[in-house]
Amino acid sequence: MKLKKIDCLDVAKHVCGDLDEHIDSEECRAIRKHLESCPNCTAYLDSLKKTVLIYQHIPSPRFPKRSRKKLFAKLKIKA
Amino acid sequence: MKTVEHPREPERADPAIIRKAQSGDERAFAQLVQQYESIVYSFAYKVCRDKEKAEEAWQDTFVNVFRKLKQFDGKSKFSTWLYSIVVNNCLMRHRRSKLELATVPIDFPDGFHEHPDTDSEGHVVQTIASWKDTPIDSLMNSELRTLLNNAIKKLPVDYRVVFVLRDIEGQSAEEVSRMLKLSIPAVKSRLRRARVFLREQLNEYMTS
Repeated sequence: MKLKKIDCLDVAKHVCGDLDEHIDSEECRAIRKHLESCPNCTAYLDSLKKTVLIYQHIPSPRFPKRSRKKLFAKLKIKA
Repeated sequence: MKTVEHPREPERADPAIIRKAQSGDERAFAQLVQQYESIVYSFAYKVCRDKEKAEEAWQDTFVNVFRKLKQFDGKSKFSTWLYSIVVNNCLMRHRRSKLELATVPIDFPDGFHEHPDTDSEGHVVQTIASWKDTPIDSLMNSELRTLLNNAIKKLPVDYRVVFVLRDIEGQSAEEVSRMLKLSIPAVKSRLRRARVFLREQLNEYMTS
C-alpha cells in the first residue's frame, strides 16, 4: 500500500501531538518512513521524548502528614 | 528538597468504602483521604510548584470532596473525579494570585524548516541539534532542577495542567478532556505547545 506523503511540518504537528500514540495508524507509519531519511525530525522527536522523560523524573516533596490532622480537625472528623 | 517521591495512583477505590463515606461514615472518608492524600498533594505540587500553595490546594480539595462526595455517581473512576476537583482548586488558586499570558508563543523548534536544505547527494542537512544521551539519573543535578523548575513555572498554568495530567500522571486525552471540559483537539493542542515550550527551555542545556 502506498504511504501518504509526509513532510517535516506534518511530523512536527502529529508526532508532537501524539508521540507514541496510534503507532499503527497510516499517519504514524508514514511518519516513521519520513524519520528514516530526516535527521531533523529524528532529533526533534528524540528531544521531545527526552523532555517528557526528564519531567517525569522531577521528584515531588513528601506529603506533609500534618495536613491530614488539620483537615480532620477542620471537618470535625475523629479518625 | 529532602525526599524524593513519585506516588503511584492507588488501587481503584473500593466502591463499598465510597458508598459508606457517601452515607456519612467518617472512618470510610478518612480511609479515602489516606488512600489518595499523597497523589493529590504530589499533583498539586507539580501544578503549583510551591509547597505552601500545594498544601492549601490539598486542603481545599478534600474539603470539597467531603462536601460533594454524594455527587460522585461512580460512572467515572474515583481518581478522575478527584483529579478534576484538584485541577479546579489549583487553577482557581493560580488565577487569584496571578494574571498571566494565556498563550504559548512557540509552535516549532529552533532550527526547524518546513522544507529543509539537502546536500549534493539529496540527504537532508541536520539543522536541529541532537540532545545528549546521558542517562537521566546522571543528568539530574541542581542546575538542571532549577532550570526545569523555572521552565515549568514560565509555562502558563492552563498548559501546565494538561502537560502534568497527560505526560506526568499518565491520564488519557479523553479523561483530561472530561476533567477540563475541553475538546480532545484542544487538549492535544495544549499538550503539543507545552511540550515544545518546555523542550525549547531545555534545548541549550541539552545540546551544549
